[in-house]
Amino acid sequence: MNPFSYSRVADPGEAVHTLAGKPQGKFLGGGTNLIDLMKMGVETPNELVDINRLPLTQIEELPDKGVRIGALARNSDVAEHELIKTRYPVLSLALLSGASPQLRNMATVGGNLLQRTRCYYFYDPAFPACNKRKPGSGCGALDGYNRIHAILGQSDQCIATHPSDMCVALAALDAVVRVRGPKGEREISFGNFHRLPGNTPERDTNLAPDELIVSVDLPAISFAARSHYLKVRDRASYAFALVSVAAALDLDSNKVKAARVALGGVAHKPWRAHKVETEINGKSADENTFRAAAEAELAAAKGYKYNSFKIELAKRAIVCALSTVAAMA
Amino acid sequence: MSATLIGQRLTRVDGRLKVMGQATYAAEFARPKLAYGVLVQSTIANGRVTKIDISTAKSAPGVIAILTRENAPQFKPYPDDLTKKGAPGEDRVPLQDAEIHYAGQHLGIVVAESFEQAVHATSLVRVTYQPQPPVVMLDDERVQKNAIWPERFIGRESLQVKRGDINAALATAAHKIDVVYSTPVENHNPIETYSTTAEWEAPDRLLIHEATRGIKQLQRIIANVFGLPRENVHIICPFIGGAFGSKGFQWSHTVLAAAAAKLVQRPVKLTFTRPQMFDSAGQRARTEQRFSIGADKNGKLMALRHATTTHCSPVSEYTEPCGNMSRMLYSCPNVEVSHRLVRLNLTTPCPMRAPGEAPGVFALESALDELANETGLDPVEFRLRNYADIDEYENRPWSSKKLRECYERGAKKFDWSKRTRKAGSLRGADGSQIGFGMATAIYPAGQQKAGATAILNKDGTVTVRSATHEIGTGTYTAMSQFAADTLGIPIEKIRFELGDSQFPEAPNNGGSWLTSSVAPAVMGACRELKKKVVDLGESWPNDPAQLANLLARSGQEQIQAEFISEPNKEEREKFSFFSYGAVFVEVHVDPLGQVRVKRVILILPNTTWRCTRTHRNLTSISSTS
Repeated sequence: MNPFSYSRVADPGEAVHTLAGKPQGKFLGGGTNLIDLMKMGVETPNELVDINRLPLTQIEELPDKGVRIGALARNSDVAEHELIKTRYPVLSLALLSGASPQLRNMATVGGNLLQRTRCYYFYDPAFPACNKRKPGSGCGALDGYNRIHAILGQSDQCIATHPSDMCVALAALDAVVRVRGPKGEREISFGNFHRLPGNTPERDTNLAPDELIVSVDLPAISFAARSHYLKVRDRASYAFALVSVAAALDLDSNKVKAARVALGGVAHKPWRAHKVETEINGKSADENTFRAAAEAELAAAKGYKYNSFKIELAKRAIVCALSTVAAMA
Repeated sequence: MSATLIGQRLTRVDGRLKVMGQATYAAEFARPKLAYGVLVQSTIANGRVTKIDISTAKSAPGVIAILTRENAPQFKPYPDDLTKKGAPGEDRVPLQDAEIHYAGQHLGIVVAESFEQAVHATSLVRVTYQPQPPVVMLDDERVQKNAIWPERFIGRESLQVKRGDINAALATAAHKIDVVYSTPVENHNPIETYSTTAEWEAPDRLLIHEATRGIKQLQRIIANVFGLPRENVHIICPFIGGAFGSKGFQWSHTVLAAAAAKLVQRPVKLTFTRPQMFDSAGQRARTEQRFSIGADKNGKLMALRHATTTHCSPVSEYTEPCGNMSRMLYSCPNVEVSHRLVRLNLTTPCPMRAPGEAPGVFALESALDELANETGLDPVEFRLRNYADIDEYENRPWSSKKLRECYERGAKKFDWSKRTRKAGSLRGADGSQIGFGMATAIYPAGQQKAGATAILNKDGTVTVRSATHEIGTGTYTAMSQFAADTLGIPIEKIRFELGDSQFPEAPNNGGSWLTSSVAPAVMGACRELKKKVVDLGESWPNDPAQLANLLARSGQEQIQAEFISEPNKEEREKFSFFSYGAVFVEVHVDPLGQVRVKRVILILPNTTWRCTRTHRNLTSISSTS
């Protein structure tokens, strides 16, 4: 770990001011990923600004019946909150399927948005090639051991996946990320928050280095109460998703009126499955409909030596998750 | 006190210490002026080091010294018997040459005032390499042609066995299969990582606190490497936070910590990080096991070929002995067991939980199921038809074998006969495929030479000592039980001490032989103590208060007795010693390929459990679904 300076701030304005114009600095939330990366020598900030005491832990109802989750709300608290459990069970389930209780107690919502890929070639600096860690150095995963890597939206620069479960649910829920920078606040729609790798895999998100996440706002979605998160992984606990699906359905008798579907473990960002949503809209909520939609979503998928199984797995997981939601009372 | 303690539900004698955080593990001994060591490791897997530049690192804050090949002393080699004949552990002492054999190999140690400073300085060490392409896959042609056919497993059991005419038997078999099973590399990852704190008490006296389950062996290794009399190396390890096969054998970190301590003239602590548990001191090798098995039309095994390919590293020829149980687990006239070893640029393999038996019996039992299916026989019936009444490899009777009754009890408890036999015929409500399976469990019942001392103290308590180990399985409690039972005094009056190289000889903790080896020594020492008391013209009182009086009357400070227990050689040559069991499981595989084990029933022969609490904990898995 590189030496760094540490300071603690008391309000969001001070936080943003402290790191303004210091691209080498980082905000420290729960630290469950950043500290790991610093230990591995992947992240080498020269300054840490501890934001844990900022008053950003609220989980509260908004006037439009949506819910605002403060950036510093701990994953455990969000998962167990009554508003979340009743209105957005998909989010609660996604959170509870991630990490371990100890990590969830520490990890913050803002930090979860910013966690970095677990691609082995990114995480271990002993590997010389990683465009995300060292732009222009190449991609070790392309011809390496790429079992956990992306099948959608990747580029020849990077085939890493986004590791978060929570973000998959947030993508399905059309969340809005509120951020604060030196010039004030702005809102970023969830679909625009994370990026596909393209030619700039070193950039995971569209958050500017001097911006601080202050909250994640969930819009009111009446049918989000009928939702599910399915996570497929190598172990039943404490493992990242090979493929995951966040799904919510609005049904009129057995017809799909509206759907929200997002995939995890398949792309550089939480993958909103727009094709599935369009494909099943107005159709009967059955396995054939879901399978056809899954086929459409994955039509453009591309597998590598060790991860091609994910294409069929993703299709089956979509069918399974949607069937589960459809069967809900 | 006449009632026996063996088989009673005792609480662990060290339980309170553990839950209070007062059981001291290797990394937790506070030593005066302690400095911290962190390993410099290779980032390539094959080649040579051309240069180690420490110019930036050595001036980093807190750095005391950096030990590399440049300034390393000349170490003497490890003891011969620990490096030859496929013995586990590395045969190469560190820092004596520039060769790189695997990624993560230790190239030096940075010593600093704090752990964090040492970690940072280590990241500033610049190593330049002359790399060679590494070979890391079993099927790589470059190593295939140089494969080794190891003769024996650690100089003991034969790894190349032939009995009868396998080819002729296969040619005429009514049913046969040819299958390959592979198992991956497995890493030991106990909660406690490796840790060594080395300090030189005098220029020729070394004190080491290390997480080791081979105290006496480590003492010998370090004495050899530093050219010291064995008694000048003092190893202490009262508790081990799990091992699973790690924390034995010779690895370079102990040598590096001790050499670094010498260099800086202070105690040096070297504790592995979690990632180092994967590359710095052992792992179970990958295996590929090919079976050609044939049976006659009645399902009697006629031919069994078990050919294992596995790997060692360039600095050890330890072999994962997958085929050893295939020699004798079933009755079969024509058997061929072979082991082929290729050298890969991977961390040196070593024993891990049931070395050989775990991957080997898994594969053998899977293959038998496939053959049973081929013959149309029930897997239990198939095993019964091939039941080995004697050890056909050694051609001698079993010490005992109650496997038949394990099958019967297990099948009954599991409702085995009521299951649907046809493979793939059962589906769960969620579309899962449901499978029922069973397998034989077997493990050698080993025993080693061990010694113990029993001391009657002034207060009427008895201290018993042996240089054995506590890896979390309950040695303190079990040995206290054996001592209390032998002496007929309450267990509270026994103090059992272990984990000190100055105590009487005990074997490495492994092979499931700790209790069978050390308990006879403990009981023997206690019997000897009783005899000594009787020799004083006294009878042995069961009341501890009278024991104190007795000692006072004798005018002695304490009475001490020793005993060394050795396996009964005659019995060991006359019989084959193995433990058996039968396992029945129900497994579901859902449409997403997720495997869930719903039910496990493990049947072991009716036996005396030394502690029913342990037994209950072990057997509670059978009711979990």
